[in-house]
Amino acid sequence: MSPVLRRSLAGLMAVAIVLVLEACVAGPGYEGGVVEASYGADFYEPYGYDYGGWGPGYRVGPPRGGEGHPDHHPGGHAPPYRAAAPSRGMPSIPTRSRGH
Amino acid sequence: MAKRAYPTRRLVCAGLLVAALGVCFTTAVVAASAELPPLLQPAGTEHHVGKVIWLDLVTPDLSAAKKFYGGLFGWTFHDIRLGAAEYSVAYLDGRAVGGLFHKAVAASEHRQPAWLTFIAVPDVDAAKQTAVAQGAKILAEPHTYPARGRQAVFSDPQGAVFAVLASASGDPPDYLAQPGEWIWSSLIAKDPGADAAFYQALFGYEVFESANTDGSEHLILATDDFARASANELPDSAPHHRPHWLNFVRVLDTDAMTYRVGQLGGRVLVEPRVDRHGGKIAVVADPSGAPFGLLEWSDTQTKEVTP
Repeated sequence: MSPVLRRSLAGLMAVAIVLVLEACVAGPGYEGGVVEASYGADFYEPYGYDYGGWGPGYRVGPPRGGEGHPDHHPGGHAPPYRAAAPSRGMPSIPTRSRGH
Repeated sequence: MAKRAYPTRRLVCAGLLVAALGVCFTTAVVAASAELPPLLQPAGTEHHVGKVIWLDLVTPDLSAAKKFYGGLFGWTFHDIRLGAAEYSVAYLDGRAVGGLFHKAVAASEHRQPAWLTFIAVPDVDAAKQTAVAQGAKILAEPHTYPARGRQAVFSDPQGAVFAVLASASGDPPDYLAQPGEWIWSSLIAKDPGADAAFYQALFGYEVFESANTDGSEHLILATDDFARASANELPDSAPHHRPHWLNFVRVLDTDAMTYRVGQLGGRVLVEPRVDRHGGKIAVVADPSGAPFGLLEWSDTQTKEVTP
């Protein structure tokens, strides 16, 4: 085998290796890449939760629905959000059972 | 001498090719095993923007978490390999209720295991633009998992971490949660009004004001004529604590379940107490410290609002 042919074959093999690796990275999937080996939401939150300060009047649960709600923001000033119209009744969480 | 070198070169080249193919094969296996399951099987057609449709726990002890939640709620688990990581989908009566992701924590690290709240959006990239424009930070860029959908993770302007998800299999229909399923979510924030404005811009929430008897701000966030979440003020006695989302599982007996939490190695953070809907709630933590709520909800005395 001539030196020129040998060098050509070696070059072709190198190109083939590069193409194979590139195909692996590009893959047949989406967004031009493979599925991430790690999960995008796998981090811990900053430390610092504390639930010791809930007084007896502190409420977090859902409404039963149909209740009224104030037509003004506590404190009298305009809230930073668009409040639901006073005519709108307070909604509940979904209450329909499965199979009904 | 030269003639002996040629076989050596060929061997080296062949070795490189085999190694490349090996890398390719390994990558393909990892990719194939990194598939997250769809939220709904079979897929549905409903979409409910602003609804909490999924939760993922990040925990340093997956087996302890599975034992705890399985013992508490009767969840069963299906393990999935995400590359080198472990992920387990929790099921109740055949329905997926959440995911548990294992991530080790060094003994020297002081980290907070937590349930990550996924809220439904139609377009994750549009949600990203809105969120950033409104002051959010990106914690995980939008990414597509073919069966699950496209998702991204943000922290809101006050630091509460949440995710958005455009589910590829539709959003869970609006049924009353069964005992053992997630039923409610509360955003605990320094300034609930400002955060309500942020989430309203992102999800189009209707915001209902509902002052607490202690004077703290309590807002109800609604879409599709259903209450989806509340925005609550961090208690005065905890001004330096971090804003966060807190999710509640429906239970039949909060007292009994709170006791059971202790038996299974968890902790009680807020003792059972009657809440505004008339049922009892409690806040507990699993053995790794991830907080979640327990919420009693009877099927009676509820009025759905029609437009």
